Amino acid sequence: MTDGRALAPEPPANTARTARRGPGSAVVTGAAVLSAYGRGTDALLAGVLTGRPAFAPVQRFAVEGRRVQFAATMSGSPDLRTEVSRSVREASEDAGLSPAERARTLLFLAIHCDPAMARAPDAARSGLGPGAFAAGVADECGLSGDGVRCYTSACVAASTAAADAAAIIAHGQADRVIVAGGYLVDSDQFALFDAGRVLAADGQVRPFSTGRRGLLLGDGVGAVVIESQQSARARQVPPLARLAGWGRTGDAYHPCQPHPEGVGLARAIVAALQRAGIAADDLGYINAHGSGTGHSDPAEASALRRALGDAVTTVPISSTKSMHGQALEASGVLELIVTLLAARKGMLPVNAGFLGPDESCRLNLVLGEALAATPEFAMSLNAAFGGANTALVIGLP
Amino acid sequence: MTTLTTAQSPSLAGLLEAAAAAGLAVSSSAAWPGARDAAEPAPLAGFIDSTFSPLVAEVAGRALMHARREPAPPGPATVSGPVTAIVLVTALGDVTSATRVAAAVDAGARVPPLHFFQSVPNAVAGYLAARWHLTGPVVCVSSTAAGLGVAGLLIEDADADEALVVRIDLAVTDGDRDSAAAILVTGPASRNALESHEPEGRKQ
Repeated sequence: MTDGRALAPEPPANTARTARRGPGSAVVTGAAVLSAYGRGTDALLAGVLTGRPAFAPVQRFAVEGRRVQFAATMSGSPDLRTEVSRSVREASEDAGLSPAERARTLLFLAIHCDPAMARAPDAARSGLGPGAFAAGVADECGLSGDGVRCYTSACVAASTAAADAAAIIAHGQADRVIVAGGYLVDSDQFALFDAGRVLAADGQVRPFSTGRRGLLLGDGVGAVVIESQQSARARQVPPLARLAGWGRTGDAYHPCQPHPEGVGLARAIVAALQRAGIAADDLGYINAHGSGTGHSDPAEASALRRALGDAVTTVPISSTKSMHGQALEASGVLELIVTLLAARKGMLPVNAGFLGPDESCRLNLVLGEALAATPEFAMSLNAAFGGANTALVIGLP
Repeated sequence: MTTLTTAQSPSLAGLLEAAAAAGLAVSSSAAWPGARDAAEPAPLAGFIDSTFSPLVAEVAGRALMHARREPAPPGPATVSGPVTAIVLVTALGDVTSATRVAAAVDAGARVPPLHFFQSVPNAVAGYLAARWHLTGPVVCVSSTAAGLGVAGLLIEDADADEALVVRIDLAVTDGDRDSAAAILVTGPASRNALESHEPEGRKQ
């Protein structure tokens, strides 16, 4: 692995280039989700508002011999294809889409791959790629077969898909996109993360905390219907939220480590604020990437300080990965839904697992119990290998 | 446009066709294998057991060198120069690594830690970004059409000035050969001159 490049003074993030966007507005009109707390948005919201993490010893597959044996999983061995299709259908129903409207709806799906691909005979593998998986979901759910996209950009895959959906809707290039993502904790990724020594041996994820030991994987399957405000109005469907701003950037620093000062993530935050047309202190909540790992949390805290300025001391921040775990390619949609549900409920989930402050991660964390607040705007952050970063801003109607 | 120095491949032909369909101008391109290429690309430090990442690095490096770009110099990174997005297109991903990991898991064998770091296509994209100082967004998708769509959108909205789009397909059956191609695309002048629209703000 190459060494990270030396750091250089970076101009303040708010002096960076100006992000452009199309003139249209994108709104979220439907959502569906599965997590370790069970099926449905009610289960997810209730779970994260209890403040109790969903981590437990893994029962789904053998973990003998692994350094760490914890994850946040729902019971049993759910099938990824079945669950992704279920979420897409449920989100479609939540948005009140008719069969004819579904047939004109695009699908942007974030997954790693068909779980069967790695063990399939050679000749069968070409039919088990993520694109074939996405096309199958679109077909099963009655969505448009044209323009199906599959995003595989690791932990920013779903958030990048959501940003792209909002961007093309703002330009009028599409009326409606279902953004879905799916990851169910599996033996191969578990073994890889265990081998990489990034899993938390104490069975808890402690973002931005002293004594944090790493991340834990978690189930996450979710879908949101994103459409033009014009389309939602014509259908007389009240939006759950506006997808007001978005940013995606790269660190240009290292294959798998974030820039220590969070310069790329800061640029993503600023771009999202620019597109939303709001100031940092307009944000009423930030759902942080907050992986709970040694390098990533200080980098994110630095990015937040760099991008938000003084507002970083007042905006409530939590990482709900501390409760539902890291859902890899699906993280972006799972956490966008958490952010949306919490903001609409007026209760902000805690940053669980916190043992005490780490001077390199000083933030205004939601600690102890959920915080009653009614944010007008909220942000969801994600970061991934490759130095990829995303920021999504939602506005409450 | 830089003259191609490698024979056109289906991967490259697909990229060029999709770029044209997306209305993007191609300023440089490269493909692998070329007529003088060995059976496998040179190893890439930090990546093991698979040609996936070495091939991406090789073909992307060729396209960037054709465009007279230079690797990032040692020392502090700067923010000058064009902002280049990286869009990696791969239908199956690193199938070689995925099958090796699955075999190790099934056998109860140790999984080499380096496989963790190369388990997603973002990793080699991050290598490219650091090596060539490509400071734009990093996006991985599974089809060439989607890749060029993403590239066009990023350029149109000023998230990047240009995009390095790389297509990589590892051989999955006997007799197949790995293939890869890369193009550097920019938006046509008319698109780059698009006026910025008002931000969202508090409009309802």
